[in-house]
Amino acid sequence: MRLENLSELQMDALREVGNIGAGHAATALSQMTGSPISLSNPALELVEFSAVPMLVGGAERLVAAAYCRLLGDIGGGMLLMAPRESALALIDLLHNREVGTTVSFGHAEEMLLTHVSTILSSAYLAAIARMTDMNLLPAPPSFVLDMAGAILQVATLETGMRADMALLVRTSFSDERTTVDVMLFFLPDPDSLDVILGRLGVA
Amino acid sequence: MIMTSDFDDTLFPNLNHPEMIEVGVGELAIGQHPRYLMTPALGSCVGLCLWDAALKQGGLAHVMLPTTLDSMTNGTERRFASFAVAEMVHLLHEAGSPRRRLVAKMAGGATMFRTEGTMAHIGERNAAEVKRQLDLLSIPLIAEDTGERHARTLELRLDTGEMVVRSYLYGVHRL
Repeated sequence: MRLENLSELQMDALREVGNIGAGHAATALSQMTGSPISLSNPALELVEFSAVPMLVGGAERLVAAAYCRLLGDIGGGMLLMAPRESALALIDLLHNREVGTTVSFGHAEEMLLTHVSTILSSAYLAAIARMTDMNLLPAPPSFVLDMAGAILQVATLETGMRADMALLVRTSFSDERTTVDVMLFFLPDPDSLDVILGRLGVA
Repeated sequence: MIMTSDFDDTLFPNLNHPEMIEVGVGELAIGQHPRYLMTPALGSCVGLCLWDAALKQGGLAHVMLPTTLDSMTNGTERRFASFAVAEMVHLLHEAGSPRRRLVAKMAGGATMFRTEGTMAHIGERNAAEVKRQLDLLSIPLIAEDTGERHARTLELRLDTGEMVVRSYLYGVHRL
C-alpha cells in the first residue's frame, strides 16, 4: 500500500491511533516535567516529500530534528522536526519558563529534545502496537540541527525511495501560557503500512 | 581571486536570482555563463559539478544514491551516481564540451544522523561511486568537500568554475 492510496476510512483509523498516542505522550511529558502539559489532538495529513521543505520555510531553513528507526515487526522511521525557534520555545515550555529564555542548543537542550522525541514516538508506537497486536520499538534517536532539506533526504532514503509521501502528524504542545507546534513524520516502508492497515481491519 | 560582480556573500542569498538554475533533489542540469547552477541542502546526497573552461559552461547533479541496485523505480535514473555522471557528460558533449575539457568538483555526502540504519554510510558510498564514475571517464576531480555531519548548499559559477559551498557550520567556502 502506498500512502497516497489511503482511503478516508484508513486515514480515520490512523487518526484514532494518533489521538490515543497523543494522550499517552501528554501524560508522560507531564510526569517528566512535573507541570501539566497537554498535546492537541494530532492533525494527520499526507504530504509529498518534495513539498515538506516549504512547510518549514524552505530547504535551507534551520530546523531541529530527531530521527529514530523503527524496530520490531515493521520497518521505517519516525522524524520529529521543528524550526529552530519552535524547538527553543518547546524547551522553555518543558522547563516551565518564559519563552525566549533558551537561546541556543547545548548538550542539555539536545538531550531534552531527544527525550521528547523518544516519548512521542514510543507513545505513538505503543498505541499502534496495542491496536494491532504487534511488537514495535523505537531505536535510540539521533539529534541534528541543520537544513530542513538535508534532514528530509535521510528520511526519504530510509523508506527505500519507494515512497514519495510521508504521513505528517502535526501536533502542538501547550501549558497555561504557551503553545508550540511540532511536526512528526511517520515513515513506514510501504510493506509495513500494509501490515498495520490489515491489523487495524481497514486493509 | 576573481570576483564576479553579482556575487552574493551572505550565507543564503536571494533564491530568485534571474540567472540562477536551481537543481532539485535527484535532478541534474547544465548551463552556460552568465547563468549559474545551484542546488540547496545537500545532506547525504552529493553535488557534482562538471565545468568546461573554454565555453564557460558546465553541469550540476544532485545525486541521492550510488547505483541503481539501491532500489529504482522507472523515471528516477537521475537520482543515481551510476547514471547521472555519464548522463551529464553526455549532455555537455552535445552542448559542445568534449569530455577531455571537463574538470570535476564535488561536495556533500555527509552523515546527518548517527543512527546506524540500512542507509548507514550512504554519504560515503555516494561520494565513492561518483569518484569511481569520474575515474571511468578520466575526468579529473580538482576540488572536494565531502563527509562530516553538516548540510551544504552548492553553487557552480560558470565563468570561473568556482564551486561555492554554504553551510551553517562553516559559512561560505569557495573552492
